[in-house]
Amino acid sequence: MSDTRMLDHGSTPLRYARGWHCLGLAADFSDGKPHAIHGFGTKLVVWADSSGELNVLDGFCRHMGGDLTQGEVKGDEVACPFHDWQWGGDGRCKQIPYARRVPMRARTKRYETAVVNGQLMIWNDPEGSAADRDILPPELPGVLTDEYTPWSWHVKEINGSHCRELIDNVADMAHFYYVHFAFPTSFRNIFEGHTATQFMESKGRPDKSEGGYSGEDSTLRSEATYYGPAYMINWLEVDYKGFVTEVILINCHIPTGPDSFTLQYAISVKKPEGIDDKTVDYIADAYTKSFGDGFLQDVAIWENKVAVQNPLLCEEDGPVYQLRRWYEQFYVDVADVRPEMTDRFEFEVDTTRANEYWHAEVAENLAKRAAEDPAAPAEV
Amino acid sequence: MASFEPRDPATLEEQRRYLRDGLVDVACDACAARVGVRKNSEQHTSIQWTLQSVALCKVFAARDQTPGRRDVHRSCPNMMASVDAAVRDGDVSVGAVDGY
Repeated sequence: MSDTRMLDHGSTPLRYARGWHCLGLAADFSDGKPHAIHGFGTKLVVWADSSGELNVLDGFCRHMGGDLTQGEVKGDEVACPFHDWQWGGDGRCKQIPYARRVPMRARTKRYETAVVNGQLMIWNDPEGSAADRDILPPELPGVLTDEYTPWSWHVKEINGSHCRELIDNVADMAHFYYVHFAFPTSFRNIFEGHTATQFMESKGRPDKSEGGYSGEDSTLRSEATYYGPAYMINWLEVDYKGFVTEVILINCHIPTGPDSFTLQYAISVKKPEGIDDKTVDYIADAYTKSFGDGFLQDVAIWENKVAVQNPLLCEEDGPVYQLRRWYEQFYVDVADVRPEMTDRFEFEVDTTRANEYWHAEVAENLAKRAAEDPAAPAEV
Repeated sequence: MASFEPRDPATLEEQRRYLRDGLVDVACDACAARVGVRKNSEQHTSIQWTLQSVALCKVFAARDQTPGRRDVHRSCPNMMASVDAAVRDGDVSVGAVDGY
C-alpha cells in the first residue's frame, strides 16, 4: 500500500440546511413589486402585501410553472404573468379570475418569515417543521438608529463551492495571515447548540495593505458568531492608529445549488462621538470596502480549491473536524441530530509558534523591499 | 439522509482520531461538572463538554441563558483553573501525536 495521502472529496449533501437564512434588507422588498431570490435549488418570490408584511413563496406557479417573480402584486397577492393565478402569502391560490373556482389542492411552498435588524429571514427545513423563532439571530441594540450608519448591503454569487467552505473559515486561524494579511495573536472557538463562535485578536501585516485585516497601524478584536447554518454576526473593534471604531459585519449566505451559494455581507458602523456625518460616512465606506475586499480574498481561494472531506491538520490548526461536526446538525433530520453535534466544545489555538515564524518572514519581506528600492517607504 | 459522506473508509477513522483521541477526563474543583481535555501544547487547550456537564456548571447557570446571548465564548474560570491544575499535576499530558 502506498503512503501517498489521497484527498477524499466525499459527496455533498442532497439537501439544504435547516435553519434561518437571510434574504436581504427588508426595505428592499417593500416597494410593492415581486422580487426574485435564487435559493435552495429554485427561485423564490418575495413581496410585500398591503399591510407591509413580507411574504416568500416558491417562485414558480403551481398551474403551469410560470415565473411569479415576473408577475405583479395585486392587492395582497402575487399574480402569475402567465394566466393571472393569484397566490397569497399563506401559500394558497386565492383567485383565478377566469375560473369558477380555485382547485382545493392549489397550495404552493411557502417560507415562514421574520424581520430582524431590518433584514428579512426565512426558515428552511426539508422536513417541513414549523419555524423555530427561539433561535433567530439576536436584535442588535442601536443598529438602525442614529447611533449607527445604515446597513451597507452587498451580494456576491459564488459558483463551484459548497457553502461549507465559507463555514470552515470559522476555525481557520492561519488563513488570516496568508489570505487576509494579519497576524492572529489570539484565536479561540466555541461551538454550542446552534451557535459557532470565533474569537480573534489580530494585528495587520506591515508588508501588505490589501483587505480589511492588513496594515501595521491596524489591530482588531473580533467576535463572530454563526446563529444557525447561514447567518453570522461579527462584532469588530478596529483600532487604527489608536482610533477605535466599532463595526458590525453581517456575513450570511443562501445556498443556491449543490455547489453554489449567494454570499451577502453588510456593514454598520457605530458613529464615533464628535465626528460629523460626512466623516462618519467616509469611515463607514472605507471599512465596507476593506472588509468587502477581505471576502474577495476568500472567494479567490474557494473558486480554485477542491472539496476535502479528510483535511490533514497540524497542531497549529483550528478545530476543523469539530466545526464540521457542529455544522452537520443542520443537514440531518432533527431525530438524527447526535448530542456531540451540539455539545459545547471550546478550543484555544496555539498561535505562538506561528507568529514567531510569521514575524520573521514579514521582517524579511520588508528588508528585501528596502534593499530593492531604498527610496521606497518601509510600508506601502 | 446522506450528508457530507466520505468516500474513503479511512476518513472515518481520521474523524474519530481528531474528534475523540487523547481526551482526558477532568473534574471541576468547584462543582460536579466533568469535561474531556486535550493539550497539544502549553497554549493550546481543547475542552469537550456534554449537555450534562454544562447543566452542572454553576458559572454557566448564573449567566444569561437566552439564545443568541453574546457571552457564549467565555469559558468557565473554575473549569479553566481545574484544567490548569490537572496539567500541573500531570493528569493531562501536554503534546500531540502527529497533529492529533
